[in-house]
Amino acid sequence: MKTNLTYSKAYTELEKLVEQIEDDKIQLDTLADKVKQAKKLINFCENKLRTIETEVEQAIKDKPEN
Amino acid sequence: MEPVKLSELVGRISDAIENRFTGKRFWITSEITDVKKKESVRRCYLKFIEKENNYINTEIRGVFWANYYNEIENFEKITGQKFSDGLKITCNVRVRFHPRYGLNLDVIQIDLAYALGKLELEKQQTLERLVKENPAIIRLIDGQYITKNNHSKLPIVFQKIALITAPNSDGQRDFKQEIENNQHNYIFSVKEFLTQIQGDNASKLILQQLKLIEKSKENFDAVVIIRGGGSQIDFKPFDDYDLAKYVAAFPIPILTGIGHDRNTSIVDLMARQHKTPTKVATLIIDYNMSFESEIEDLKERFFQGVEELIKTDKNNLESIKRIVKSSSPTTILKKGFSIITINDKIITDPKSIKANTQLKTILKNKIIHSKVTQKTEYENQFDI
Repeated sequence: MKTNLTYSKAYTELEKLVEQIEDDKIQLDTLADKVKQAKKLINFCENKLRTIETEVEQAIKDKPEN
Repeated sequence: MEPVKLSELVGRISDAIENRFTGKRFWITSEITDVKKKESVRRCYLKFIEKENNYINTEIRGVFWANYYNEIENFEKITGQKFSDGLKITCNVRVRFHPRYGLNLDVIQIDLAYALGKLELEKQQTLERLVKENPAIIRLIDGQYITKNNHSKLPIVFQKIALITAPNSDGQRDFKQEIENNQHNYIFSVKEFLTQIQGDNASKLILQQLKLIEKSKENFDAVVIIRGGGSQIDFKPFDDYDLAKYVAAFPIPILTGIGHDRNTSIVDLMARQHKTPTKVATLIIDYNMSFESEIEDLKERFFQGVEELIKTDKNNLESIKRIVKSSSPTTILKKGFSIITINDKIITDPKSIKANTQLKTILKNKIIHSKVTQKTEYENQFDI
């Protein structure tokens, strides 16, 4: 998974893929790649909502106990 | 002259006062100070003062007796303001003289309309000043305060949250409970910036926390300011000019759950107001849910598209297959047509066929070898 992927990027890319497929702009021979790409974007969004980002986790750990 | 006993003199003073004031009530407007609430006995001692050029020129003691203590509780509940030193109130009083404790004003009633009006006026003045002095970040349009903060673009998802709240408060607990136990299993990172949230210094302390958050603003999607539950008093810090101005210009969206149904504080107006801590948490969860359902929609559309694409291509392939099949020699021969060759070359133009030419006529499963005896004209009857 690309490390610099963000929610907005994932959303925009997925939207683009949907447009391409709805406008018949995807060739059959590139379909497998597009499906793979779409699955990756969907998984990214769904998983990221349910996992904490490591750097934030770290920031919280660094916080002194009060 | 014979000296009189103290009690006799004081008794005369007492008589004079009683004659003049017994059974009379007065409305006064005055600043109060030295407020001492004795909640256990439901009594409150204070001083009424009047100043001229910051110099106190009049001062008299006042008391709320138990019968009238609820006037204070009402005042706090309705104005959202603590009954404390420095307030200016209008109240109904009785003059009373006690031989030992001296002159006193017994308070019977606080004028709430005056208190509210004064509070509202102060608030209005602060709002006017905010708009006037900060045109780049605060504008008043159609009764709405449009600020840099409450019209900043929201992130696509709220996940990293800076929480400003009082330690161990009901608000903190309500918010976290709602956020942590959401039914979608969304995970949030909530970093707490704990501070005093009511009292004289609260606005400065909240401001400090905002400054701290701003230093690492890239780590947060939203700032949540929570107070609530518990006591309803003292919302004044949220009407503070400096704090409100800072909130209006703050680069990260601020969501407030300050928990006051009657009043909207100035900070609420400068940020995005959601009333209670639980409501802020619900909003955040719903916000993420609507993002996820958009992703779900795209997912469905994409895979439906894929399915249709495959189906269309399959259909195209089928019809090509049918065309190929129907024009294949086997099909044609089966229908009773034949192929004529001369020297194994298929003849499509009869020009080269003459009398005595050797022909091979290919049928479904036989070849007829023949020699041409005659060639005549024929009019095609098969054109469609």
